[in-house]
Parts: sequence; structure tokens; C-alpha cells
Amino acid sequence: MSLETTFPTTPPTPPRLPPLRRLAARCMRNPLGGVIAALVLIFGVSCLLSPHFLTGFNMMIMARALAFIGLVTIGQSILMILGELDLSVGAIGGLAGITGGMLMVQAGLNPWLSLVLCLLLGTACGMLNGVLITQLRLHSLVLTIGMAGVYGGAILVATKGVAITGVPVDISFLGRGLVYGVPVPFLVLLACLGVVAFVMVRTPLGRYVYAIGSNPEAARMLGLRVDAIRIAAFATAGFLSALAGILMVARLGTAQPSIGDTWVLAPIAAAVIGGVATTGGLGSPVGAVLGAVIIGMIENIIVLFGISPYWQSVVSGGIVVLAISFDSLARRYLHREA
Amino acid sequence: MKTAFLLATALVLAPMAVRAADDHAPLRFVLIPKTVHPWFDKVNTGAQAAADLLGKTTGRKVEIEYRAPETADVSSQNDIIERAIATHPDGLILDLLDEKGNHATMLEAVDEKVPMTVFDSLPPEGMDVTAVGADFCEQGTIAAQRLAGLIGEKGEVAIMIGVPTAPNHTRRAECERAAFARYPQIRVVATGIDNDSIETAQKQASAIMQAHPDLAGWVACDAAGPVGIGQAIRESGRTGKVKEVGLDNLNDMIQLIRDGVADSSASSRPEMQGYWAVIAAWQRALGQKTPKYIDTGIDVLTKKNI
Repeated sequence: MSLETTFPTTPPTPPRLPPLRRLAARCMRNPLGGVIAALVLIFGVSCLLSPHFLTGFNMMIMARALAFIGLVTIGQSILMILGELDLSVGAIGGLAGITGGMLMVQAGLNPWLSLVLCLLLGTACGMLNGVLITQLRLHSLVLTIGMAGVYGGAILVATKGVAITGVPVDISFLGRGLVYGVPVPFLVLLACLGVVAFVMVRTPLGRYVYAIGSNPEAARMLGLRVDAIRIAAFATAGFLSALAGILMVARLGTAQPSIGDTWVLAPIAAAVIGGVATTGGLGSPVGAVLGAVIIGMIENIIVLFGISPYWQSVVSGGIVVLAISFDSLARRYLHREA
Repeated sequence: MKTAFLLATALVLAPMAVRAADDHAPLRFVLIPKTVHPWFDKVNTGAQAAADLLGKTTGRKVEIEYRAPETADVSSQNDIIERAIATHPDGLILDLLDEKGNHATMLEAVDEKVPMTVFDSLPPEGMDVTAVGADFCEQGTIAAQRLAGLIGEKGEVAIMIGVPTAPNHTRRAECERAAFARYPQIRVVATGIDNDSIETAQKQASAIMQAHPDLAGWVACDAAGPVGIGQAIRESGRTGKVKEVGLDNLNDMIQLIRDGVADSSASSRPEMQGYWAVIAAWQRALGQKTPKYIDTGIDVLTKKNI
């Protein structure tokens, strides 16, 4: 008996799946497949059920609303991949916005210089969080709850709760402007996401973040500068929150003390929906932003569908749970099929 | 491929088809308050009553869609207003959190030709919008003057501010302080912040009364505050010794007046605000001119008239 007849020249092919299941399997092999599938499903259902959903105006307002929460989500997702959390991101955004308003209106500083100073302030606040967490060996969750109180309190001390009006119109296009129908804040979000995604995927720094998130002790033994990277991640989250805060000031035309109040839990939920593990080491900022798109879409359709305000939390929470479950169940099903 | 093409076509054409069918639809107004709160439920009740009346008398149904932000935050409210604009209603009825912060979004409604009416707040300057409501300053002044009378125009008083970032709450507080300042023997010894929460108001009021045992009376700046104050007065056993003039007409507030814990309440008329806001919105939807301001007045609720 010859060898040619004993061993086949080509490896055995796996059983051929039906086309739809094959497409689903291909989707699920992609780490973002689940969230994209959930997004497409919600988008399709929304298009079919509401005549107002797929209009230019509605797409524009959804993109603009996404920009602010999306920026904060990028920062929070980096921290979550690192195994950390920052619950003061909303307060940092609010503090940066208020400081910007005060510098521009009360101090009469050049608006662009004010914006740069606010971004530096946000970065410094984030960095301070990181330094305190790494040097005092504190849990990020506990420390940032306290720091949220400090930054939020500083807003009230500075403003006495009153909004700062008269923000120069020079910066209004940053929040309200459109470029070929696309809101400027959304373009800022895309630019930031592009840079962060590049760093996370294509540079050693990104790989270090995943390594630290997976096993910080192992990363430390490998010689990685774990504390420095954690501080840098908190500073990045602070910078992005400040950017969101400033864009919101430009959008509203006033510096509101309430800016950032709703930016605490939504970015965490978005990141989890987008596949970022709360235990660290898994997920991507792109997935997190897609999670934010899902949340934004749900908030949008709740109004478009005319759901009672008393049911809004139930419905949005329920859809979020469905979106996460859909991803998990689909993966389990395909795993079993294989 | 064919299926995908048909699905895409259906998605693009569906909005047009439904919009064409909308020509004979009822008049639809979207009511957006500051946040979810029992006071706004009363506004909604008045709005629904006006819609029913208009529907019966004109033969064309009027629908009110109530869309409340979960938190009293300008950007959240703007998002809801924008989403409502996307549905192209016949009118928006808004309680603005901050007319300057809401301005850009209101301009979008103007661009999309959606008429607006505001209630319980004032529109941005230069905008042709009817405002329905009561004067916040007058309401605070009435409460403070009544308390001054109850305590013999002398003694220590405290003010409970609602949400420090809410312009109507801070305005009432300013006017209450100004009213007390006219009485040389009255001293404002404490200011609490309840964030429009009954529980917080109760805690704050209890602590303030502990710190100021000679406190003679309370006024508040929001609807939840006076309820918490009343509960704190009752718990401390100082009913009758510490006077309270409340604000607005939540059921709990009315009960406190019935029980003799609170003397009275300077109440705006939320049902009437909702009612007249719908009437104004309906007139605007029909292209008619409407008044610049509709004052729905303030009631002083006492044991005798509730």
C-alpha cells in the first residue's frame, strides 16, 4: 500500500454550514461581531417601526449626541482594559467646561487659549487620580468616587450653581457646526477614536495596556512601567472628558454646572456592551464606542416610539441586557454548532 | 442580494409612505418638562384636559405626548427636544431648564418649522414664543412675606433651596432673601439644599433645626423641599412652634397643611399652565397669533381653601 493512498493530500473540510449560519459564524469570530450584529438589528427594527428614524436630521442629532458620551467612553474603555475605572470623568468634564466658561467670560482670555488650558486642566485632574491610585495603592473605584465629589464640589464653589453665559461665539462651531452635514463634535470623536485605536492596536504601548489589564503582576515582572502607564491612561481619560466638556460648552453656548452629570454610568455600560471586560485585558475602544452607539440609538427610539417616560429606564435597561445576552448566546450557540 | 436590495428600499421608502399618511393625522404636541416629577404630572393632567376639550369641540383629535428627561440636565433635555423635533410634531411645549442653554436647540426647531410654546420658564430673548406661567419671584416673595407675618416680623428663619443649578429655584431664593431683608428683625440664619428630594430636605431641615433651636420659620424654593421640611418639623415635635410656608400643591404638601404642620403654600397652578400651554400651542399650529405671556397666577393655599 502506497503512502499516497493512505493519507489524503488535503486536510478534511469541516461540515458545510447553511449560508446564514456561515455568515453568523464569520461575524462571531470577529471580536466586534456581536455588538455590530446587535447594532444592525436595532437599527433595522428602528427603521421599520419609526418613519422618523432614518431621516437626515435624526441621524445628525444622533451623531452629535454620541460625540460627547463617545469621547468619555473612549477614555473609560482604556481604563477598563487596564483593569481600572474612573467615576470622576463626568465631574472632570464639567469642571473643564466651567473653567473654560470662566476664563473666556469672566477673565476675558482668548477663547482658544482657554480651551487649551481647560484640556490641560482635565489632563491634570486625570493624572492626579492616577498618581493617587498608584502611589497610595488605592482602589480606583473608591478614589474616583471621592475625587468626583471634589471636582463636582469645585464646580459648585466656583459657580454657586449658576450657569456662565456669554461664551464667545468664536468657538460655537465646535459644538454646533456641521461639515457637509456631519456635526463637528462627531468628527472630533472619530479623530480621537482613530488615534486611540491606532495606539492600542499598532503600538507597543497599546499592547502593554492589554498586558497590564490581563495580569498586572506578570507585566511588572516583565519590566513594564506599570504605574507610569496607568497614570498616562488616567490622564488620557481626563483629557478626553475635558474635551467633551468643552465641546458641550460650545454646543450649549453656556457653561452649565450640570455638564457631565450623566457621563458616569453610560460610558461604563457602553464599554461593557461593546465587549470590554470589567476585569481588564479584553475589548477595544472601537467596540466601546459601538456600545455607545447602541445606547444612543435606544435613547433616540424611546422618544421616537413614544414610550412613556416612566418606562424609559425599564425599556433602555432591558434592551441593553438583550444586546449583551444576544452576543453571549450567539457565541455559545455557534461554539456548540462547531 | 435581491432580499438585501428590497430591504434597503423598504427602509428608505417607509418614512415617506408613513409621512404621506400623516396628512390626516390628529394634531400632535410633544410636552417636555424639566424632568420626571409629580409637579409636571399635574401640568400633563391640565394639558390632557385641554387636548380632550379641543378634540371634542373641533372634531380634530389633539394628542399630547409627554416626554420627560430622567434628570434635570440641559444637555439631556436638549437631546429629548431634538428627538422630538425629528418626529415633526405640530408643536413643542417646553419647560426650559435654561433658556440660554436651550437656545441652540430651539433654533433647530425654528429651522424645522416646529412651533414652540414654553411654560414655567421664559423663552430666549428675541424669540417669538408664547410663555405660560407664574412669576417665580412673586411666588417666593409671597411665601416670605406670609412667613414674616406669621412670626411677627422678627426672629430667625431658614431657606431651603431646591437644585442650585435650576434658575427658577435660585430666583425664588433670591426674592425670598430680598423680601426678608425688608424686615430688620428677621435674620436668615441657614440655607439648605435639597436637590428637589423630599428625603434630602428632611435631613437638611432636621440638621438645621438642631443647629438653630430658636428657628422661627421656613420657606422653600421647590416643590419637594417644603414636604421634607414639614416632615422634619413633625418629627422634631415642633409643630406650631416652627412655622412653615410651603411652595406648590403636591398632595403631601396639602396634607401637611391639613394636618396643621405647615401654615400654607404659595402655589403656582401647574394644571392651568399645562392647559393654557396646549391652547397656545394649538393656536400656533393653526397659524394664529398668540400672546407673548400668559400669567396663570399664584394661589395661597391654606387650611380654609384647600
